[in-house]
Amino acid sequence: MYLEIKDLKKSYGEGGSYIQVLKGVTTGVEQGQMCVIEGTSGSGKSTLLNCIGGLDLPDGGSIVVDGQEIVGLKAEKLSDYRRERLGFIFQFYNLIPNLTVRENVQVCEYLSDTPMHMDELLETLGLTEHQNKFPSQLSGGQQQRCAIARALIKNPKLLLCDEPTGALDSKTSRDILALLEKVNEKYGTTMLIVTHNNSIKNMVHKVIRIKDGQISKEYLNETRVPAMELEDL
Amino acid sequence: MQKVLRKRILRDLKENFVRYLALGAMIILCMYVIISLIGTADTIITGSEKFGRTHKVEDGQFSMFVPLAEVETEQLSEQGVELEEQFYLDYELKDGSTLRMFKNREKINLVAINQGRGPESADELVLEKRYAEEHELDVDDVICIGGKDMRICGIGCSPDYDATYKDFTDSSISSIQFGTVFVTEEAYETFLSEEMSVKAEEYVYAYRLEGMSNEELKEWLGNRKVEAGQIQDIYFQEYWKEQTKEKTEFEDALDELEDGAGELADGLKELAGIKTGLLSFDEGISEASAGAKELQSGVDEFADETQEFLDENFEVEISNLRQMVKKEDNPRIGAAAADQMINKYGGLIAGVIVLILFAYVISVFVVYGIERENSTIGALYALGVKKRELILHYICLPVVVCLIAGIAGFVIGFESIGKSTIMGNCYSYFSIPYMEPICPAYLYMYGIVLPPVLSAVVNYFVISGKLNKPALVMLRNEHKQNKATNMKLGKLGFVAKFRIRQMLREARTSATVIGGMFISLLILMLGLDCMTMCNHVSTANKEDTKFEYLYTYKYPQPQVPEGGYEAFAKTMKKENMGYNLDVTILGITDDNPFFEVNLTDNKNEVVISSAMAQKYGIKNGEIIVLEDEESEMHYAFTVIDIAAYSTSFYVFMDIEQMREMFGESDTYYNQVFADRELNVEAGRLYAVTTKKDIEKAADVFILQMKPMIVMMVGVATLIFAVVMYLMMKVMIDRSAFHISMVKVFGYRSKEINKLYLSGNFYIISVGAAICIPLAKKVMDLMYPVMVSNVACAMKLAFSWQLYALVYAGVIVTCLIINALLVGRLKKVNLAEVLKNRE
Repeated sequence: MYLEIKDLKKSYGEGGSYIQVLKGVTTGVEQGQMCVIEGTSGSGKSTLLNCIGGLDLPDGGSIVVDGQEIVGLKAEKLSDYRRERLGFIFQFYNLIPNLTVRENVQVCEYLSDTPMHMDELLETLGLTEHQNKFPSQLSGGQQQRCAIARALIKNPKLLLCDEPTGALDSKTSRDILALLEKVNEKYGTTMLIVTHNNSIKNMVHKVIRIKDGQISKEYLNETRVPAMELEDL
Repeated sequence: MQKVLRKRILRDLKENFVRYLALGAMIILCMYVIISLIGTADTIITGSEKFGRTHKVEDGQFSMFVPLAEVETEQLSEQGVELEEQFYLDYELKDGSTLRMFKNREKINLVAINQGRGPESADELVLEKRYAEEHELDVDDVICIGGKDMRICGIGCSPDYDATYKDFTDSSISSIQFGTVFVTEEAYETFLSEEMSVKAEEYVYAYRLEGMSNEELKEWLGNRKVEAGQIQDIYFQEYWKEQTKEKTEFEDALDELEDGAGELADGLKELAGIKTGLLSFDEGISEASAGAKELQSGVDEFADETQEFLDENFEVEISNLRQMVKKEDNPRIGAAAADQMINKYGGLIAGVIVLILFAYVISVFVVYGIERENSTIGALYALGVKKRELILHYICLPVVVCLIAGIAGFVIGFESIGKSTIMGNCYSYFSIPYMEPICPAYLYMYGIVLPPVLSAVVNYFVISGKLNKPALVMLRNEHKQNKATNMKLGKLGFVAKFRIRQMLREARTSATVIGGMFISLLILMLGLDCMTMCNHVSTANKEDTKFEYLYTYKYPQPQVPEGGYEAFAKTMKKENMGYNLDVTILGITDDNPFFEVNLTDNKNEVVISSAMAQKYGIKNGEIIVLEDEESEMHYAFTVIDIAAYSTSFYVFMDIEQMREMFGESDTYYNQVFADRELNVEAGRLYAVTTKKDIEKAADVFILQMKPMIVMMVGVATLIFAVVMYLMMKVMIDRSAFHISMVKVFGYRSKEINKLYLSGNFYIISVGAAICIPLAKKVMDLMYPVMVSNVACAMKLAFSWQLYALVYAGVIVTCLIINALLVGRLKKVNLAEVLKNRE
């Protein structure tokens, strides 16, 4: 298993404001799988993603990514882990405003010894004609595509997506999801997508549902709906 | 990655060009001022040293009552002392100024010719450059000295008159009043023979030592005795006669006694030769004659013994050495370099302070940029970008700005409009030749390397703290809530509460404004302290100088001239922060109307002048120690009072007590104060100082310092205005979202100004009320160190009007900047609310 999570716990606050967000989550994702983590707001899905991404430190349990235990790693090692293995996509694109599309992607190209081919990636993501534009000159969908390119240029084995279509309209969302699907197929990137959108689960290999900090259900899709055919996005 | 991010730096610079231009301009201005100061200082210090070396500056000088005999100069030469006569004559010109005439030098203190050439004929002279400048005299002009027209063949200067003080005790240079000239030997002899000088020729020798120390030379010279009769000066002879009057009277009485005894013996002998036949009478006469002979022999013996006693106790020979001054103690030598030392160290420290301020101001902008990009930075962290990579990126711009501005400031400061301007000030005060500007290696480091390094250090600490947050915190754009901003504000109105919270939120930026204000005020206080000191010297010198004439005697008259008040002045040394300054002990009579001093009969108790009290920070009851360099003795006195007298460093004591203390006769004096001109022969005097001379000398300070004062006030105002404007603009930019929101709510411009600008006004008002006295206090501690070599009163107290003016200046600047920022507030777009919600 590429990603293996065992008895993962995470809480915030103290005393009266104490809240346990993850209450012993155990699950796993195979290499090359697209997986959706779904749940209502406050269920702990983003916290789980942040723990996997090494952005948040769990209180207990284990996260093994490609054979490497990441719980207990020091900040510097976690940074190396993210640098070498992960790609991140967020709901907001967080692009550097005064760098062009190409330059924004280049920022992360330098982080990898084996980056993807820039022009090919831009072509795949439909950004070739926008590569010299600044983020303010792009639509939301184009900006998110740029954020995806930035995350993928490092050639990560694991792509973590936190509400990647949360700020987009349905048509653009569909385009973005189709892109993710295409990347998964083309590069074999394992993907974890956190979403509260019910339709997206239909396009992925595996679905993990979280409720009140615990996995309430997880299953593999026997048949997957292509992203371009998803409804109610 | 840095390669890509570097593209951003240029774009950042372009986007905020005005901001960085303003900051860069400020750094350029400060570096220009500082590099000019330090570069000038180094040029003058090194140049003076070189000038001294190439023009064979003396190791010291001494003056004699009688010129040294040839054999004596030969003896000194054999002992490794190079000597040159530098006798001089003083001439008063029609305009009241004095020119000191020397023979042209050949061995020591050689004259540097700046224009023209040296004197070749008896009607030519070389004129000292500062005097020439002040009197607008040029080569080929003719001046009348001692009734003779002399053509100026050259203009120059000599290393022994770098500061053209007429007397060693002068506190300021006045080239309008005094200068030097150099003529041929033939011309000098002619002038000497014509006896037109205001006082007798001074027998001054300059020396350079190779095989002898100053102390050994002094001892050797001290042992050169001279018979009073050898000294040809008629005033000396008169003086000497007066001094030895008692001995002469005693000797005359002895002679008379001897003569009387001899006559008696002779008379009785004669009488004894006449036989009367009266046996008993004749025997009596014979016995009387024998007794008289015995008496005569006894009187002769008594006279011989007494003469021996008188010779032992009344010196018939006196030391030929009148005064010896080492180069280090000669205020005329190396004064320009000493003056520049303070500029150099002051400049070095000021530069570091100002650079830190601007580096910090830039860091505020960078921090503001980081805060705006928090979530982007979080995303980059999430993608594996490391903190040190981002620090390197964010430090780049401040470092580049400081590097470019530092280089520009360095170049401008070192070029003609910088260093030459400040060097011009030095050239217009000291008599020094043109010096080739130099730039020592450390100055390159200081001007070019230090600004970016300081910027990197300051920004590293500030930025590092800002980037130290976890990726998630940055991604979510979470801000640590300052506890102070959550404080309960009770029943205050909304506007007041809002302003307080806004102030607390912007505490860091406000602190930078206050910091900038404090540094600006320090610079301002430096200028104002300088102005206050100069004004005080000028006005107080005029007020405190109650006498019109001060006669300093070489050979006092037996009787104090009518209308004059005698005084006994003795110059001592007292150290002040490494500089040995002259202090005069002044013995005065009770009835002296020119000094309001209450003296006691106690020899150990003295009253000091206010100038001395201020300069040395002496209070009543303190014990002061003065050094007499001639006798190598130290004298300790208790200060019982401070008299209002700003012109000189005086230690007042009763003249009788002083005569007793220094072993002088009951009638001795060497100075006379008067409220009118007295009829005193010039040959008796060292110097005549008039009230006008003192007033003119006092005004020199103001004239000399004016450009610096104006520059300081200007620079301080600029720094304050720029820092304040930029920081307040940052505050507005940071609040743009909220300002936009209150606009959406329907707040009017006036109300928005009240919320976002009035708070700043209160911060500046309160900050200025604290910073002005604080900066004044700090500068009052620093300034005396900066002018520790200047021998003048140090009254730095401001009038309340000046404080009010400074405060008003700060407030007016603040109001102007607030008015400028109103426009900025108006520019905040309603769309800001939407723009920031991605």
